[in-house]
Amino acid sequence: MNQTASEPILTTDGIPLKVSLQKSERKNKIRAFLLVAPLLVFILVTFLIPIADMLVRSIDDRQINTVFPKTFEVYKKWDQQGLPSEELYETMFFEVKNSEGYDIGKASTRMNYSKSGWKSLLKKSKRKFKKIEEGPYKEQMIAAEKRWGDIDYWKALGVMVDPTTMGYYLNAVDLKFDSNKEIIRQKENRRIYNHTWIKTFKISFLVMFFCLILGYPISYLLATLPLKYSNLLMICVLLPFWTSLLVRTVAWMVMLQQKGVLNNLLVMSHVIADENRFQLMYNQTAVVIVMTQILLPFMVLPLYSVMKTIPPTYMRAALNLGASPLHAFWKVYMPNSVPGISAGCMLVFIIAIGYYITPELVGGKDGQMVGNWIAYHLKTTLNWGLCASLGAILLAVMTVLYWAYNKIVGIENIKLG
Amino acid sequence: MFKLIRATFLGLIAMAYASSAYADITFVSWGGAYTASQQKAYIDTWSKGSGVTVENYNGGLGEIKAQVEAGNVTWDVVDVLPDQAITGCDEGLFAKVDQSEFINDLVVPPVSDCVVPQIFWAYTAFYDKAAFPGKKPKRMKDFFDVKKFPGKRGIHTWANALIEMALVADGVKASKVYDVMSTPEGIDRAFAKLDTIKDHVVFWSAGSKPLELVSSGEVVMALAYNGRIGAAILSEGKDFEYIWDGTVLEQEYLVAIKGGNEAEALEFMAHASSAESNAEQAKYIPYGPMRKSSIGIIKKGEPWFITDSGNIDIMPHMPTDPKVLKRAIIADPFWWADNGAEVHERFGAWKGN
Repeated sequence: MNQTASEPILTTDGIPLKVSLQKSERKNKIRAFLLVAPLLVFILVTFLIPIADMLVRSIDDRQINTVFPKTFEVYKKWDQQGLPSEELYETMFFEVKNSEGYDIGKASTRMNYSKSGWKSLLKKSKRKFKKIEEGPYKEQMIAAEKRWGDIDYWKALGVMVDPTTMGYYLNAVDLKFDSNKEIIRQKENRRIYNHTWIKTFKISFLVMFFCLILGYPISYLLATLPLKYSNLLMICVLLPFWTSLLVRTVAWMVMLQQKGVLNNLLVMSHVIADENRFQLMYNQTAVVIVMTQILLPFMVLPLYSVMKTIPPTYMRAALNLGASPLHAFWKVYMPNSVPGISAGCMLVFIIAIGYYITPELVGGKDGQMVGNWIAYHLKTTLNWGLCASLGAILLAVMTVLYWAYNKIVGIENIKLG
Repeated sequence: MFKLIRATFLGLIAMAYASSAYADITFVSWGGAYTASQQKAYIDTWSKGSGVTVENYNGGLGEIKAQVEAGNVTWDVVDVLPDQAITGCDEGLFAKVDQSEFINDLVVPPVSDCVVPQIFWAYTAFYDKAAFPGKKPKRMKDFFDVKKFPGKRGIHTWANALIEMALVADGVKASKVYDVMSTPEGIDRAFAKLDTIKDHVVFWSAGSKPLELVSSGEVVMALAYNGRIGAAILSEGKDFEYIWDGTVLEQEYLVAIKGGNEAEALEFMAHASSAESNAEQAKYIPYGPMRKSSIGIIKKGEPWFITDSGNIDIMPHMPTDPKVLKRAIIADPFWWADNGAEVHERFGAWKGN
């Protein structure tokens, strides 16, 4: 008896059952994998690789080190007290003079982030250095461009010594390296990012909050009304959803501006005086109002699909057992709709935090969000390192929020339908 | 049979080559009335013009850099601002061009080796005559004087031209503006002047916006692209008035993207930058040509601007009118290439706090 217990169970053709099962399981696994493979490749190419590229760009600082390799070797010897030695000037001279192609242009763009002025200094020097034949170079360089005698330019090189840098991340939170790579605060009149971060989160939170307040009753109506009314209501929710974002944004401009529909109506009905018209456009208020309207369907749809699954009998039972309507709602209906609330809030917050076009159009002076600065640096200054670090921080914030959410509510509680 | 197919195939290829009077380039510009004027002045008048695809963009080098870095260039000729012309040429995004044909015929020297001349456009202040029945604003300092001329001002959301204008309003001579701007105190001074109107500004970012703002009475004065103001006056019959004092002129160039269809792009650019073409464009939009000889052609041909109800004199609407130029500032793209990012961040802090 003992012997048979330890002996493996065999299939009819003599192979152990375990092995045979594994074999057919593996076949299934391969088939399943092949089915999802196209999607996997798609996500890899369009999503994961770009994100990896973004993360690399946010710390990559090679573009300058490869242009001035010898200069940086000599630079490390400089004590940063007084102007550098003739040796450093000489290496810099030859690396500028003999540079070929476009690397120096790219390097100068990078150096200009560290100190404004490097760009034209290198450009002009490259032209003027052609006339300088022999050393000593220090005096001739300063004579050609007096900025070579300005120690601030030399000090600004210090932050670029290493091929990787945390500098872009520091810039993204209003800090920077000084010439000794000590972290210091950004000049006061250039501190914009912390302020922008706070504003971005504040706006996103407000939009999420108002979407929930406005979306919950609508969804409840949608889920409980008879079909012929709820269909009509559904169309009212979806119609703006299908309308172009730009059209809706511009429509709000017409509605809310100082001489717009709303203010005109209020003045005409003598609610406010002509000179006290509300400033509802081109500020943060406008961004919150317009984004709430635009993102409302993202709150309503998940809420609706979850509420649809809550049997009406629950509420009736609670009422029947003597609960007041408010109590019944709070103890029975609300908890059942939590998965929808979570899904809606997550969706709205995630979309809102990266918004760009609406703040650009209606944000005016104080409604700009992080997305607007990313767009600015992407297009105008070509400071893609800073763009990447701003983007990476956004990504990190989202990941942390998601993690926190999972800890508190549990991700399995999210429901889109 | 096989031979027949092959012969037909080769014949088709030959035909395709023979009909190469058809250029295959994509021309990218800013859209609206501006692109329409380029279409009429350069593309329709070019022998291979029927093959030019026109696209719009919003400025900046972002897309171009992405295309060149990815080795997938779909734009061939792009209409760019001067600081982008400098950066793009330095970084190897643009092809070098032969400038011998026009180099001695320009109002200012070209900013880089990669460009052919287009136009001067300007940031110009303007108002609706109805908004000031009594005393009318005439100078840049009036734009910054909310006591004398109460009401909101429309300004753009970036720093270009505003720094220059603030200094002119603060009493700096137009010719000395960049000397002052090159000192830290000069920038402080400009921002201090901007502070005086901060509570009275409405920001715009799309070029059509300032005209709406002034038309609707949302603001009493605004800065706008002079061509838009001109179009509103000339084509829509608006009763606007320019404040030419302290106007800031910007240059506009065409470049060929490296790795695109360079041969035909350069051919197109040669056509588009000829004195005749440059002048021709002013028939449709009041932007000033960069070529001196084009201005001569226009003056001789007045009334030059085409409207539905006959031609109109265009020189009074031109930012390059000698009378305007005396009091104007030609924006220095090298200064902005150096200091643009820093000043813009400071401007962002100024706006937001």
